[in-house]
Amino acid sequence: MENKSASKASSASPQASQGKKPFNKIKRSQIRHFSSVLSILIMLPVFAFMVIFNWVFPRSDVSYIEKRKLAEFPSFSFETYFNGAFTGGVNQWFTDTAPYRDDFKTAGNGFKSLFGIKTENTVTIIGPATVVDKNKKPSHPQNSKPATGKTESSSGSSSDTPSENSTAEESSNDSRDYTQEDAEYTVENGIAVVNQDNHWRALELFGGGSGNIYVAALNDLRSQLDSSIKMYSMIAPLASEYYTPANYAGFTANQKEFFDDIASRLDSGITTVDIDSVLAQHTTENIYLRTDHHWTSLGAYYAAQTFAEAAGVEFKDLSTYTKNTINGFVGTMYAFSGGDIRIKNDPEDFDYYVPENYDQVTAYYYDTSFNYDWSGNFFLGVGDPQSNAYLTFMGGDEQIVKVKTGVKNGRKLLVVKDSYGNAEIGYYFGSFEEIYVVDMRYFNLNLVDFIENKNVTDVLFTMVTYSAFGDNADNLPNLIAQAKGETIVDGAEE
Amino acid sequence: MVFADLFFLYAFLPACLLAYFLCKKLKHKNLVLIIFSLIFYAWGEPLCVFLLVFSAWFNWSVGKYIGKHRKEKQSKTAVAVGVIVDIALLIIFKYTGFLVENFNFFFHTQIPVPQIGLPIGISFFTFQAISYVIDCYWETVEPQKSFRKFLLYLSLFPQLIAGPIVRYSVVEEQISKRKSTAADISEGSMRMIIGLAKKVIIANNLYAIVTQFFGNDISSLSVLGTWYTVVAYSLYVYFDFSGYSDMAIGLGRIFGFRFDENFNYPFICKTISEFWQRWHISLSSFFRDYLFYAPVFGRPRKYFNLFLVWFCTGMWHGAEWNFIFWGLYFGIFIFIETKIGKKRMKKWPKVLTHIYSKLIIIIGFGIFYFTDLGQLGQFFLNISGISMLTNGSALADAVTWSSLVNNVFLLAFAILVSMPVLPKIKHFFFEWGNNKVYLTGKMLATALCMFLLIMSSILLVDSTNNPFLYFRF
Repeated sequence: MENKSASKASSASPQASQGKKPFNKIKRSQIRHFSSVLSILIMLPVFAFMVIFNWVFPRSDVSYIEKRKLAEFPSFSFETYFNGAFTGGVNQWFTDTAPYRDDFKTAGNGFKSLFGIKTENTVTIIGPATVVDKNKKPSHPQNSKPATGKTESSSGSSSDTPSENSTAEESSNDSRDYTQEDAEYTVENGIAVVNQDNHWRALELFGGGSGNIYVAALNDLRSQLDSSIKMYSMIAPLASEYYTPANYAGFTANQKEFFDDIASRLDSGITTVDIDSVLAQHTTENIYLRTDHHWTSLGAYYAAQTFAEAAGVEFKDLSTYTKNTINGFVGTMYAFSGGDIRIKNDPEDFDYYVPENYDQVTAYYYDTSFNYDWSGNFFLGVGDPQSNAYLTFMGGDEQIVKVKTGVKNGRKLLVVKDSYGNAEIGYYFGSFEEIYVVDMRYFNLNLVDFIENKNVTDVLFTMVTYSAFGDNADNLPNLIAQAKGETIVDGAEE
Repeated sequence: MVFADLFFLYAFLPACLLAYFLCKKLKHKNLVLIIFSLIFYAWGEPLCVFLLVFSAWFNWSVGKYIGKHRKEKQSKTAVAVGVIVDIALLIIFKYTGFLVENFNFFFHTQIPVPQIGLPIGISFFTFQAISYVIDCYWETVEPQKSFRKFLLYLSLFPQLIAGPIVRYSVVEEQISKRKSTAADISEGSMRMIIGLAKKVIIANNLYAIVTQFFGNDISSLSVLGTWYTVVAYSLYVYFDFSGYSDMAIGLGRIFGFRFDENFNYPFICKTISEFWQRWHISLSSFFRDYLFYAPVFGRPRKYFNLFLVWFCTGMWHGAEWNFIFWGLYFGIFIFIETKIGKKRMKKWPKVLTHIYSKLIIIIGFGIFYFTDLGQLGQFFLNISGISMLTNGSALADAVTWSSLVNNVFLLAFAILVSMPVLPKIKHFFFEWGNNKVYLTGKMLATALCMFLLIMSSILLVDSTNNPFLYFRF
């Protein structure tokens, strides 16, 4: 193509050859040819540059926005060729690792923001969201309508909470029961982007759920543990509990009602720590990250304080901590809102608080099967803190962490948590002698054995609404049933 | 491989263009095209590329045989065998699962449903092959003597996997004699880029709306939400498909081929019959020429053939009942229109015919979308407003409103571009104006196309978007 157009260009040079003739008198066919050559001469270098750009510039290998490793070049074999994995993999690799991927994504999202009106008064709902029936209280599984829409409302026998089967309190046909729809409500379900106090905030909406698995698992664990071991349930609400504008309140459920429902069904030997009403008193403070699906360190502080009161342990005031700040943080909600550029353009400060006795604290890191890995700091420096600041707490979730605090009070805490819990741990350094941090999704030992083996005195379940009511809770029964009787060896103590 | 893909645009295409334009002789250029076309097809169908080559060889042989036995009985047998084998291949690869499933359903049998993957583009190249053997029999084309040239026709990658269904008669001469002029290359490239932008900038983003609302169970979707989404879907299908046709026509043009237009602003139609003269023209004209006017089952019977054509049109789009309903649905309206008569319909107020035709078309796309018949039923409840009584659905909802506000310019732009605005602008610059205006128009078009190419490429980077909540390095 290059040869061709180059030769065309030299043969054309029209104005020179047409010299004296006024431009508008030249034959249309010649003008057409000349202008075509000219346009090729403009397009070709652009196209050539884009080809070279794709092949010569360094390819990306990670995406900080998407928080993942990018695709690798597929390996070739007859098998991968004939099942299409190789050729498909090449296309995937080529697009996935495009040079400056994250920057181009941001540019593309900026362009897409021109598709509509984005004023400060509009609430944007991203992804499917269903109106939550405010008249329905949690755990009334009558007149259930499964999410598939294929079967019409059936009798209460489809309910998985036996106690309510017999009570037909509701009989209207137009009501929906969300206790049957756990699986429907994942984090991709609905995100609302709202503007408050001149800042954008992305909210994950909550449609409801039964929490049956959570309740059953905790009650089961309670029955297996010695009564001297204290158990606590502390569920953190999603930010939408406090920041959903009134006119959009219909798209998210009142989480407090669901927490209260769980509390009423938990064994009396389990202490419910109600942080929903505590956080409600601090909504004007910075208790939730606006651009991320987590709360802030401050939000976690109020939760930790409430727990410490319930557990009857000493608790240090926030004024005794050293505050550190990471500026320019833009969290997960940017990618999860499908790249809403307003979130990207409205970064926030990420604070974390280091306790006074931190020099006496050692964190021990193990893999999910409790094989010792290394020990050292609890607060870690992270790569690209502007998008991964939340990893400051222990560097992530897929591990078991033990913390020795230097406190001598005989209290040993086990925290069963999702990533929300990570922000709380630092506040317990003055309250417990030892802290074991276990992620509800990544733990391969038997929880009962582990608690007994480690002489744990306090077991705290702390996680966000989605984990207690959604898919993550499915793993809780496994933690109690799996790997029973296997020996537990602490590699760090040898 | 598809066109709207960075690897195609910046690896396959430049390699192909370089090889093609480095060759001086047409024979070598054709060879380059065959090799790249087969690589293109094998990229998506590593095994079925042999099916493509077999189909080319078989139909070429049938054509040659017909050519040898002109006016003899054998030629009739040959064309019958050719068409039957082509249709049989199509049925085996496309409809086996559907036929077995329905046989099991209606006769309560338990025949295991075979899992046969649909070879990409088989519906397109099979129809091209059928048109070729019938044209040979009708003597409207000369049978191609060279297998290589016939393989080039059937496998030519610009039109191979998503149309248009290019008739052999259209490219017969171009295969052996063609030139890429500067105008061909420049106008072809622009056409290709405009098609790319229609797909990547408009269609893909309209589809995001469609999946937001139609992706899940639609029983709780509001009435206006359903209307909103089905309009977005109608526009999506148009921009996706016509964008692909633009890319095909543009690419063909760069190589010196001139394919017939496949879309002619279908949404400006006033009747359903007119819609189908403007929508996927290469398919509707195929059925018109080879099925409707052809005495397939003895002498042509007008209304029987009409419904046969629309049954087949629906069926062609996919092995699901909803596609058959979709075809017959249009058949019914075309039947009604022929009964009323063209002349009488012309006298109707324009506003009325536009509203009538758009309503039918938009609801038609709802039928086209929902392969799940349960969801299709729910769609009709929603769109008619009956769902407000049966499901207690709302008339409107805030999520729809939020989506509408966020996409209002995209939708407005899509509607504008789906009407013949571009030809008017083109007419101003390239026909009405003097040379200076012409040149200005050309430069503006070049700049616009470069912007569209870069923007489409940037948006394509996002096509493997797969965010994680937690760090997965």
